[in-house]
Amino acid sequence: MPTTEIQKTLEHQFVSELELHQNIVHKVCTLYTKDKEAHNDLFQEITIQLWKAYPKFRGEAKFSTWMYRVALNTAITQYRKSKKKVDTYDYDSVIFKVKTEEYDPTEEQQLQLMYSAIRELGDIDKALVFLYLEDKDYREIAETLGITEVNARVKMNRIKTKLRTIINP
Amino acid sequence: MMDELDLLKKDWQKKEADLPRLSYEEIYKMTWKRSSSIVKWIFYISLMEFLFWTAINVAFTDAEAWETIKSMHLYEFTIVMTTLSYIILVFFIYKFYINYRQISYTDSSRELMKAILKVKRTVTQYVWFNIAIFAVSLITSIYGSLRYGPDGKKLVTAAGEAGNEALFWLLITGMILLFVVVFITLLWLFYKLLYGLLLNRLRKNYKELEQIDV
Repeated sequence: MPTTEIQKTLEHQFVSELELHQNIVHKVCTLYTKDKEAHNDLFQEITIQLWKAYPKFRGEAKFSTWMYRVALNTAITQYRKSKKKVDTYDYDSVIFKVKTEEYDPTEEQQLQLMYSAIRELGDIDKALVFLYLEDKDYREIAETLGITEVNARVKMNRIKTKLRTIINP
Repeated sequence: MMDELDLLKKDWQKKEADLPRLSYEEIYKMTWKRSSSIVKWIFYISLMEFLFWTAINVAFTDAEAWETIKSMHLYEFTIVMTTLSYIILVFFIYKFYINYRQISYTDSSRELMKAILKVKRTVTQYVWFNIAIFAVSLITSIYGSLRYGPDGKKLVTAAGEAGNEALFWLLITGMILLFVVVFITLLWLFYKLLYGLLLNRLRKNYKELEQIDV
Protein backbone atom coordinates (compact mmCIF):
# COMPACT_ATOMS: atom_id res chain seq x y z
CA MET A 1 0.00 0.00 0.00
CA PRO A 2 1.40 3.45 -0.83
CA THR A 3 2.01 5.82 2.08
CA THR A 4 -0.95 8.07 1.35
CA GLU A 5 -3.24 5.05 1.36
CA ILE A 6 -1.91 3.95 4.73
CA GLN A 7 -2.33 7.47 6.01
CA LYS A 8 -5.94 7.53 4.83
CA THR A 9 -6.74 4.21 6.45
CA LEU A 10 -5.12 5.33 9.67
CA GLU A 11 -7.07 8.57 9.64
CA HIS A 12 -10.34 6.80 8.94
CA GLN A 13 -9.63 4.38 11.78
CA PHE A 14 -8.83 7.23 14.14
CA VAL A 15 -11.84 9.40 13.30
CA SER A 16 -14.20 6.43 13.60
CA GLU A 17 -12.78 5.46 17.01
CA LEU A 18 -12.96 9.04 18.24
CA GLU A 19 -16.49 9.45 16.94
CA LEU A 20 -17.45 6.37 18.92
CA HIS A 21 -15.75 7.48 22.14
CA GLN A 22 -16.24 11.24 21.86
CA ASN A 23 -18.22 11.33 25.11
CA ILE A 24 -14.98 11.07 27.08
CA VAL A 25 -13.59 14.19 25.42
CA HIS A 26 -16.87 16.09 25.83
CA LYS A 27 -16.95 15.25 29.51
CA VAL A 28 -13.39 16.53 30.01
CA CYS A 29 -14.29 19.71 28.13
CA THR A 30 -17.40 20.34 30.23
CA LEU A 31 -15.39 19.98 33.43
CA TYR A 32 -12.53 22.21 32.36
CA THR A 33 -14.25 25.00 30.45
CA LYS A 34 -16.98 27.45 31.23
CA ASP A 35 -18.53 28.35 27.91
CA LYS A 36 -19.39 26.76 24.61
CA GLU A 37 -16.59 28.42 22.68
CA ALA A 38 -13.93 27.27 25.15
CA HIS A 39 -15.48 23.80 25.14
CA ASN A 40 -15.11 23.57 21.36
CA ASP A 41 -11.56 24.96 21.44
CA LEU A 42 -10.49 22.39 24.00
CA PHE A 43 -12.25 19.61 22.10
CA GLN A 44 -10.34 20.58 19.00
CA GLU A 45 -6.99 20.74 20.78
CA ILE A 46 -7.57 17.33 22.37
CA THR A 47 -8.48 15.92 18.94
CA ILE A 48 -5.23 17.30 17.49
CA GLN A 49 -3.14 15.88 20.36
CA LEU A 50 -4.88 12.50 20.03
CA TRP A 51 -4.30 12.44 16.29
CA LYS A 52 -0.65 13.41 16.74
CA ALA A 53 -0.13 10.65 19.29
CA TYR A 54 -2.19 8.07 17.37
CA PRO A 55 0.70 6.53 15.37
CA LYS A 56 2.36 5.75 18.73
CA PHE A 57 -0.83 4.26 20.16
CA ARG A 58 -0.58 0.84 18.45
CA GLY A 59 -3.36 -0.68 20.50
CA GLU A 60 -1.22 -1.29 23.59
CA ALA A 61 -4.06 -0.17 25.78
CA LYS A 62 -7.75 0.20 25.15
CA PHE A 63 -8.47 3.16 22.89
CA SER A 64 -10.67 4.72 25.57
CA THR A 65 -8.03 4.31 28.32
CA TRP A 66 -5.46 5.99 26.16
CA MET A 67 -7.96 8.76 25.37
CA TYR A 68 -8.49 9.59 29.05
CA ARG A 69 -4.80 10.21 29.42
CA VAL A 70 -4.28 12.43 26.38
CA ALA A 71 -7.52 14.35 26.97
CA LEU A 72 -6.77 15.08 30.62
CA ASN A 73 -3.14 15.93 29.88
CA THR A 74 -4.25 18.43 27.26
CA ALA A 75 -6.79 20.00 29.62
CA ILE A 76 -4.25 20.25 32.45
CA THR A 77 -1.44 21.75 30.37
CA GLN A 78 -3.36 23.90 27.93
CA TYR A 79 -3.18 27.65 28.40
CA ARG A 80 -6.66 28.99 29.02
CA LYS A 81 -7.86 32.48 29.68
CA SER A 82 -9.07 32.51 33.25
CA LYS A 83 -12.43 34.16 33.61
CA LYS A 84 -12.68 36.79 36.29
CA LYS A 85 -16.25 35.98 37.17
CA VAL A 86 -16.24 32.51 38.61
CA ASP A 87 -19.87 32.19 39.65
CA THR A 88 -21.58 33.03 36.42
CA TYR A 89 -21.54 30.60 33.56
CA ASP A 90 -22.81 31.98 30.31
CA TYR A 91 -23.20 28.45 29.11
CA ASP A 92 -25.60 26.15 30.84
CA SER A 93 -23.69 22.98 30.41
CA VAL A 94 -25.95 19.98 30.11
CA ILE A 95 -23.95 17.84 32.43
CA PHE A 96 -24.56 20.05 35.43
CA LYS A 97 -28.29 20.22 35.03
CA VAL A 98 -30.02 17.94 37.42
CA LYS A 99 -33.15 16.39 36.05
CA THR A 100 -35.82 17.61 38.40
CA GLU A 101 -38.41 14.97 37.65
CA GLU A 102 -36.15 12.12 38.64
CA TYR A 103 -34.96 13.18 42.08
CA ASP A 104 -36.38 14.31 45.34
CA PRO A 105 -35.57 17.93 46.21
CA THR A 106 -32.89 17.20 48.82
CA GLU A 107 -31.01 14.88 46.51
CA GLU A 108 -31.27 17.34 43.70
CA GLN A 109 -29.93 20.11 45.86
CA GLN A 110 -27.08 17.92 47.10
CA LEU A 111 -26.09 16.99 43.57
CA GLN A 112 -26.22 20.59 42.46
CA LEU A 113 -24.01 21.63 45.36
CA MET A 114 -21.49 18.88 44.63
CA TYR A 115 -21.31 19.74 40.93
CA SER A 116 -20.64 23.38 41.64
CA ALA A 117 -18.02 22.40 44.25
CA ILE A 118 -16.28 20.23 41.67
CA ARG A 119 -16.22 23.12 39.23
CA GLU A 120 -14.29 25.17 41.79
CA LEU A 121 -11.60 22.51 42.33
CA GLY A 122 -8.06 22.88 40.96
CA ASP A 123 -7.15 21.20 37.66
CA ILE A 124 -5.50 18.20 39.34
CA ASP A 125 -8.25 17.58 41.88
CA LYS A 126 -10.76 17.85 39.05
CA ALA A 127 -8.88 15.16 37.13
CA LEU A 128 -8.98 12.88 40.18
CA VAL A 129 -12.72 13.39 40.69
CA PHE A 130 -13.36 12.92 36.99
CA LEU A 131 -11.55 9.58 36.85
CA TYR A 132 -13.32 8.53 40.03
CA LEU A 133 -16.73 9.40 38.57
CA GLU A 134 -15.77 7.47 35.46
CA ASP A 135 -15.38 4.42 37.67
CA LYS A 136 -11.63 4.06 37.23
CA ASP A 137 -9.73 2.18 39.92
CA TYR A 138 -6.97 3.84 41.95
CA ARG A 139 -4.27 2.06 40.01
CA GLU A 140 -5.41 3.65 36.76
CA ILE A 141 -5.96 7.06 38.39
CA ALA A 142 -2.44 6.93 39.84
CA GLU A 143 -0.90 5.86 36.53
CA THR A 144 -2.71 8.54 34.54
CA LEU A 145 -1.57 11.35 36.82
CA GLY A 146 1.85 9.97 37.68
CA ILE A 147 1.42 9.68 41.44
CA THR A 148 1.45 6.65 43.75
CA GLU A 149 -1.72 4.65 44.30
CA VAL A 150 -1.65 5.29 48.05
CA ASN A 151 -1.40 9.02 47.57
CA ALA A 152 -4.17 9.01 44.97
CA ARG A 153 -6.38 7.28 47.53
CA VAL A 154 -5.43 9.70 50.32
CA LYS A 155 -6.06 12.71 48.10
CA MET A 156 -9.39 11.37 46.87
CA ASN A 157 -10.52 10.74 50.46
CA ARG A 158 -9.70 14.34 51.30
CA ILE A 159 -11.73 15.58 48.36
CA LYS A 160 -14.60 13.30 49.39
CA THR A 161 -14.57 14.74 52.90
CA LYS A 162 -14.50 18.23 51.46
CA LEU A 163 -17.49 17.51 49.23
CA ARG A 164 -19.37 15.95 52.16
CA THR A 165 -18.91 19.01 54.35
CA ILE A 166 -20.20 21.14 51.52
CA ILE A 167 -23.48 19.24 51.30
CA ASN A 168 -23.84 18.56 55.04
CA PRO A 169 -22.56 21.69 56.72
CA MET B 1 -27.85 6.05 53.89
CA MET B 2 -26.49 5.96 50.40
CA ASP B 3 -23.07 7.49 49.90
CA GLU B 4 -23.45 10.97 48.40
CA LEU B 5 -20.60 10.32 46.04
CA ASP B 6 -22.15 7.13 44.75
CA LEU B 7 -25.22 9.17 44.07
CA LEU B 8 -23.11 11.63 42.16
CA LYS B 9 -21.41 8.83 40.23
CA LYS B 10 -24.75 7.39 39.21
CA ASP B 11 -26.05 10.77 38.16
CA TRP B 12 -22.85 11.55 36.25
CA GLN B 13 -23.06 8.35 34.25
CA LYS B 14 -26.71 8.95 33.43
CA LYS B 15 -25.86 12.24 31.81
CA GLU B 16 -23.92 10.73 28.94
CA ALA B 17 -27.05 10.87 26.84
CA ASP B 18 -27.22 14.67 27.09
CA LEU B 19 -23.68 15.35 25.87
CA PRO B 20 -23.16 17.10 22.53
CA ARG B 21 -22.34 14.84 19.59
CA LEU B 22 -20.08 15.61 16.66
CA SER B 23 -20.35 13.92 13.30
CA TYR B 24 -17.58 11.97 11.60
CA GLU B 25 -17.08 14.89 9.19
CA GLU B 26 -16.74 17.43 11.99
CA ILE B 27 -14.10 15.34 13.77
CA TYR B 28 -12.30 14.64 10.51
CA LYS B 29 -11.99 18.38 9.84
CA MET B 30 -10.53 18.91 13.30
CA THR B 31 -7.60 16.58 12.63
CA TRP B 32 -6.44 19.06 9.99
CA LYS B 33 -6.50 22.09 12.25
CA ARG B 34 -3.36 23.57 13.77
CA SER B 35 -2.54 23.02 17.39
CA SER B 36 -2.40 25.92 19.82
CA SER B 37 -0.76 24.02 22.66
CA ILE B 38 1.73 25.51 25.09
CA VAL B 39 4.36 23.16 23.72
CA LYS B 40 4.00 24.68 20.28
CA TRP B 41 4.19 28.23 21.62
CA ILE B 42 7.29 27.44 23.66
CA PHE B 43 8.85 25.90 20.59
CA TYR B 44 8.21 28.98 18.44
CA ILE B 45 9.30 31.47 21.08
CA SER B 46 12.46 29.46 21.72
CA LEU B 47 13.35 29.37 18.05
CA MET B 48 13.01 33.15 17.94
CA GLU B 49 15.25 33.46 20.97
CA PHE B 50 17.94 31.30 19.46
CA LEU B 51 17.77 33.29 16.24
CA PHE B 52 17.77 36.62 18.06
CA TRP B 53 20.85 35.93 20.17
CA THR B 54 22.74 34.32 17.32
CA ALA B 55 21.94 37.34 15.13
CA ILE B 56 23.27 39.65 17.86
CA ASN B 57 26.47 37.61 18.01
CA VAL B 58 26.92 37.74 14.25
CA ALA B 59 25.99 41.41 13.90
CA PHE B 60 28.55 42.54 16.46
CA THR B 61 31.46 40.66 14.95
CA ASP B 62 31.89 41.97 11.38
CA ALA B 63 35.27 42.88 9.87
CA GLU B 64 35.12 46.47 11.10
CA ALA B 65 34.33 45.30 14.59
CA TRP B 66 37.38 43.01 14.48
CA GLU B 67 39.62 46.01 13.66
CA THR B 68 38.26 47.97 16.60
CA ILE B 69 38.65 44.92 18.81
CA LYS B 70 42.30 44.58 17.72
CA SER B 71 42.99 48.24 18.43
CA MET B 72 41.53 47.77 21.89
CA HIS B 73 43.85 44.80 22.59
CA LEU B 74 40.85 42.55 23.03
CA TYR B 75 41.48 40.26 20.04
CA GLU B 76 42.37 37.06 21.90
CA PHE B 77 39.70 37.69 24.48
CA THR B 78 37.01 38.12 21.83
CA ILE B 79 38.13 35.02 19.89
CA VAL B 80 37.84 32.92 23.03
CA MET B 81 34.49 34.43 23.97
CA THR B 82 33.00 33.97 20.47
CA THR B 83 34.22 30.40 20.12
CA LEU B 84 32.92 29.59 23.55
CA SER B 85 29.51 31.09 22.87
CA TYR B 86 29.13 29.16 19.60
CA ILE B 87 30.06 25.88 21.26
CA ILE B 88 27.56 26.60 24.00
CA LEU B 89 24.90 27.62 21.47
CA VAL B 90 25.25 24.25 19.71
CA PHE B 91 25.07 22.48 23.06
CA PHE B 92 21.90 24.38 24.00
CA ILE B 93 20.19 23.69 20.68
CA TYR B 94 21.02 20.00 21.04
CA LYS B 95 19.67 19.92 24.60
CA PHE B 96 16.58 21.86 23.55
CA TYR B 97 15.86 19.42 20.74
CA ILE B 98 16.33 16.37 22.98
CA ASN B 99 14.06 17.82 25.67
CA TYR B 100 11.49 18.84 23.12
CA ARG B 101 11.39 15.35 21.62
CA GLN B 102 10.70 13.90 25.05
CA ILE B 103 7.36 15.69 25.37
CA SER B 104 4.57 13.18 25.00
CA TYR B 105 0.90 13.58 25.80
CA THR B 106 0.65 9.83 26.34
CA ASP B 107 2.94 10.00 29.39
CA SER B 108 1.50 10.50 32.83
CA SER B 109 0.50 14.07 33.64
CA ARG B 110 3.47 14.50 35.92
CA GLU B 111 5.98 13.31 33.31
CA LEU B 112 4.39 15.50 30.65
CA MET B 113 4.46 18.66 32.76
CA LYS B 114 8.02 17.93 33.86
CA ALA B 115 9.09 17.59 30.21
CA ILE B 116 7.42 20.87 29.18
CA LEU B 117 9.01 22.77 32.06
CA LYS B 118 12.39 21.25 31.21
CA VAL B 119 12.25 22.62 27.65
CA LYS B 120 11.41 26.03 28.98
CA ARG B 121 14.22 25.83 31.55
CA THR B 122 16.80 25.06 28.86
CA VAL B 123 15.79 28.15 26.94
CA THR B 124 15.89 30.32 30.04
CA GLN B 125 19.39 29.06 30.81
CA TYR B 126 20.44 29.94 27.29
CA VAL B 127 19.03 33.44 27.62
CA TRP B 128 20.82 34.06 30.93
CA PHE B 129 24.03 32.76 29.44
CA ASN B 130 23.68 35.28 26.61
CA ILE B 131 22.95 38.11 28.99
CA ALA B 132 26.11 37.24 30.89
CA ILE B 133 28.15 37.19 27.68
CA PHE B 134 26.55 40.46 26.64
CA ALA B 135 27.37 42.13 29.97
CA VAL B 136 30.99 40.93 29.95
CA SER B 137 31.49 42.10 26.34
CA LEU B 138 29.97 45.46 27.15
CA ILE B 139 32.18 46.02 30.17
CA THR B 140 35.39 44.94 28.42
CA SER B 141 34.71 47.02 25.31
CA ILE B 142 33.91 50.15 27.31
CA TYR B 143 37.08 49.59 29.30
CA GLY B 144 39.03 48.91 26.08
CA SER B 145 37.82 52.03 24.33
CA LEU B 146 38.63 54.18 27.34
CA ARG B 147 42.13 52.73 27.70
CA TYR B 148 43.05 52.54 24.00
CA GLY B 149 40.47 54.49 21.97
CA PRO B 150 41.54 58.03 20.93
CA ASP B 151 38.64 59.82 22.64
CA GLY B 152 38.82 57.56 25.65
CA LYS B 153 42.50 58.31 26.17
CA LYS B 154 41.82 62.06 26.11
CA LEU B 155 39.07 61.64 28.67
CA VAL B 156 41.22 59.60 31.00
CA THR B 157 44.14 62.05 30.70
CA ALA B 158 41.84 65.00 31.37
CA ALA B 159 40.48 63.26 34.42
CA GLY B 160 44.00 62.48 35.57
CA GLU B 161 45.13 66.12 35.16
CA ALA B 162 42.13 67.30 37.14
CA GLY B 163 43.38 65.00 39.87
CA ASN B 164 40.39 62.74 40.21
CA GLU B 165 41.12 59.72 38.06
CA ALA B 166 39.86 57.36 40.76
CA LEU B 167 36.55 59.19 40.91
CA PHE B 168 36.31 59.02 37.12
CA TRP B 169 36.72 55.23 37.07
CA LEU B 170 34.27 54.89 39.92
CA LEU B 171 31.66 56.89 38.00
CA ILE B 172 32.23 54.88 34.82
CA THR B 173 31.92 51.60 36.67
CA GLY B 174 28.77 52.81 38.40
CA MET B 175 27.20 53.85 35.11
CA ILE B 176 27.98 50.54 33.42
CA LEU B 177 26.61 48.60 36.36
CA LEU B 178 23.45 50.69 36.37
CA PHE B 179 23.00 50.14 32.65
CA VAL B 180 23.48 46.37 32.99
CA VAL B 181 21.05 46.18 35.92
CA VAL B 182 18.39 48.19 34.06
CA PHE B 183 18.86 46.09 30.94
CA ILE B 184 18.58 42.80 32.82
CA THR B 185 15.53 44.01 34.76
CA LEU B 186 13.73 44.97 31.56
CA LEU B 187 14.56 41.63 29.98
CA TRP B 188 13.49 39.78 33.11
CA LEU B 189 10.16 41.62 33.08
CA PHE B 190 9.70 40.78 29.42
CA TYR B 191 10.26 37.08 30.10
CA LYS B 192 8.06 37.14 33.17
CA LEU B 193 5.26 38.46 30.99
CA LEU B 194 5.93 36.24 27.99
CA TYR B 195 6.22 32.92 29.79
CA GLY B 196 4.28 33.90 32.87
CA LEU B 197 1.06 34.20 30.90
CA LEU B 198 1.73 30.94 29.14
CA LEU B 199 3.00 28.81 31.98
CA ASN B 200 1.41 30.04 35.21
CA ARG B 201 -1.34 27.45 35.23
CA LEU B 202 1.01 24.66 34.23
CA ARG B 203 3.43 25.52 37.03
CA LYS B 204 0.59 25.67 39.53
CA ASN B 205 -0.72 22.28 38.42
CA TYR B 206 2.73 20.73 38.54
CA LYS B 207 3.23 21.96 42.10
CA GLU B 208 -0.20 20.67 43.07
CA LEU B 209 0.64 17.23 41.71
CA GLU B 210 4.04 17.19 43.41
CA GLN B 211 2.41 18.04 46.72
CA ILE B 212 0.11 15.04 46.52
CA ASP B 213 3.15 12.77 46.43
CA VAL B 214 5.00 14.33 49.37
